[in-house]
Amino acid sequence: MTVCAGDIILEARGVSFSYRSPVIRDFSLGLPAGLVSGIIGPNGSGKTTALRLLDGILRPASGDVLLRGAGSLQRLKRKEIARRIAMVPQNGTVFYYQTVFQFTMQGRSPHLSLLGFESALDEEITLRALEMTQLTGYLHAPVSTLSGGEKQRLLLARALAQQPEVLLVDELTANLDINYQVELMSLIARITREKHLATAVVSHEINLLASFADRIALIEGGTILEQGSAAEVINLGNLKRLFGLDFSLRWRPDGKPEILPIINEGRT
Amino acid sequence: MNRLSRTRILSTSLALLAAWAAAAVVSLNVGSVRIPVSTTLQLLKSRFLSEPPESGTLAAILFSVRLPRVFLGSLVGASLAAAGAAFQSLLRNPLADPYVLGVSTGASMGTILFSVAAASFGFAAGNGFFYARPGAAFLGAAATVAAVYVIGGGTERSGEGSQRLLLAGIVLASFISSINVFLLTSTNQADLRGIFYWLIGDLSRPVDASIYVVTAVVLAGFLLLYLLSQSLNLIAMGETSALILGVEVARVKTWVYLLASLMTGAVVSVSGPIAYIGLICPHMARMMFGSDNRILFPAVFIFGAIFTLLADTLARSVFSPTELPVGVITALCGAPLFIYLLHRKGGER
Repeated sequence: MTVCAGDIILEARGVSFSYRSPVIRDFSLGLPAGLVSGIIGPNGSGKTTALRLLDGILRPASGDVLLRGAGSLQRLKRKEIARRIAMVPQNGTVFYYQTVFQFTMQGRSPHLSLLGFESALDEEITLRALEMTQLTGYLHAPVSTLSGGEKQRLLLARALAQQPEVLLVDELTANLDINYQVELMSLIARITREKHLATAVVSHEINLLASFADRIALIEGGTILEQGSAAEVINLGNLKRLFGLDFSLRWRPDGKPEILPIINEGRT
Repeated sequence: MNRLSRTRILSTSLALLAAWAAAAVVSLNVGSVRIPVSTTLQLLKSRFLSEPPESGTLAAILFSVRLPRVFLGSLVGASLAAAGAAFQSLLRNPLADPYVLGVSTGASMGTILFSVAAASFGFAAGNGFFYARPGAAFLGAAATVAAVYVIGGGTERSGEGSQRLLLAGIVLASFISSINVFLLTSTNQADLRGIFYWLIGDLSRPVDASIYVVTAVVLAGFLLLYLLSQSLNLIAMGETSALILGVEVARVKTWVYLLASLMTGAVVSVSGPIAYIGLICPHMARMMFGSDNRILFPAVFIFGAIFTLLADTLARSVFSPTELPVGVITALCGAPLFIYLLHRKGGER
């Protein structure tokens, strides 16, 4: 099936989900090929749960998540999903005894048969994923020796080794220095365009997402408040509603916003 | 890149099988009557190749005592070691093993309950009894796994979560041990020494008809477990990670619990709960062959056979002609290793 830029690859339609109380309510979002969709919301707004629903790890109580050409995720096996959707988890664990190459090659496992072994082609795809994430210098290094930023790139590399059509990224830049945040986000944006991925990035780093994402969905209380381009959805009213703070908002000539919270020392 | 291939797995397995054959020949040689290696090989050759086979005292000892025991020891060791490796991957804890988790003790309770019940209904010592006994042991093992899982609060969390499971296993094992002793004492068993040995883990009992069932269960269980080896590789990295990479985590977990309990139950019904084989063998095999279950499982299966064979040979030759139960030797090796691993795990935090 040929995919054109802008085709919706993965779509949530009216999805609801509860743990004890409702976490996600009537959540509808489409992820188009070749674009980065940013999901912005405060802590506890249901961002991570939404991402887990989009990967089929959680089953919606109502509504459905549809994968282009395959229908509802609920009817697919995990392996079928993992061949097309990759997720970079928040705080993904890496184990001390594996090398960077071995860890990344795990991304090939959805493509292996039950008793299958990785082929030379799988190695090549793994190497390419490591190249894209600039980790080829560390092939045989134990993963425990990588720095925080490198570990995040490693998790991204494993997801790319899956050769997915959809890339879901959960707070990948949390706990990283600002230079690493920018580096990672621009890497994700570049790969999304090169590989025609339908990418969703969840974050509360609002400036970062507004700069790199092609589309933005604001999420509050488990439901989408508004979605569209940064210019369409980022305004003082929405920001106040999401974060409960006043902001100063300035638009750069390239159409990207600069957002700063107004901190009033005298505020009680 | 040194990636894993079928050839590497096959050559490793063949090398280990050769080591096993060597260990078996040594084991056949050692005992109250020594049978020289050349005689052993001569007798084996005659048994399978010439008409009529040689007879005599040495042949009788070799074929009715030593050979069945070597086979049983290998089977028990292979099964417990593979079950240990599976539990360790599943719980993401190098300390997990059928004995520590209480599964072996649960299986022994199943066996004892079945024997007691069979005796009171006058249903004993026939083939039906021998065929059904491993099943009772499996039920005991599976019930213990379920109880450990409930008491320990599931496995979703690694680290502390799986420590809780181990703790639950240890507590449950001591509880079930008391029940076992209670059951055995209250039923006026004549062979107290034999029972005492069996409770520690012993291979000296004559092999009965249940060996066919046990062999079939162990081999089938191992083959099915092997099909899950790559999924277990990914589960060992964390359950969310495994889900993302396409593993049906809940289904695989259920199967591994069932298969590992089945394999443990089957062998414990004949050998009793031999301690720590499932801890020592996976640990050593992992040091030699790495932690990829696709090579580790076959390696540990054969390695467990070799280890148990040698431990049993030691057990019956150290104080010859008096025999020690093999469980004494494995516990003497296993307990220090457990302490070492516990210490190392603590140091990693």
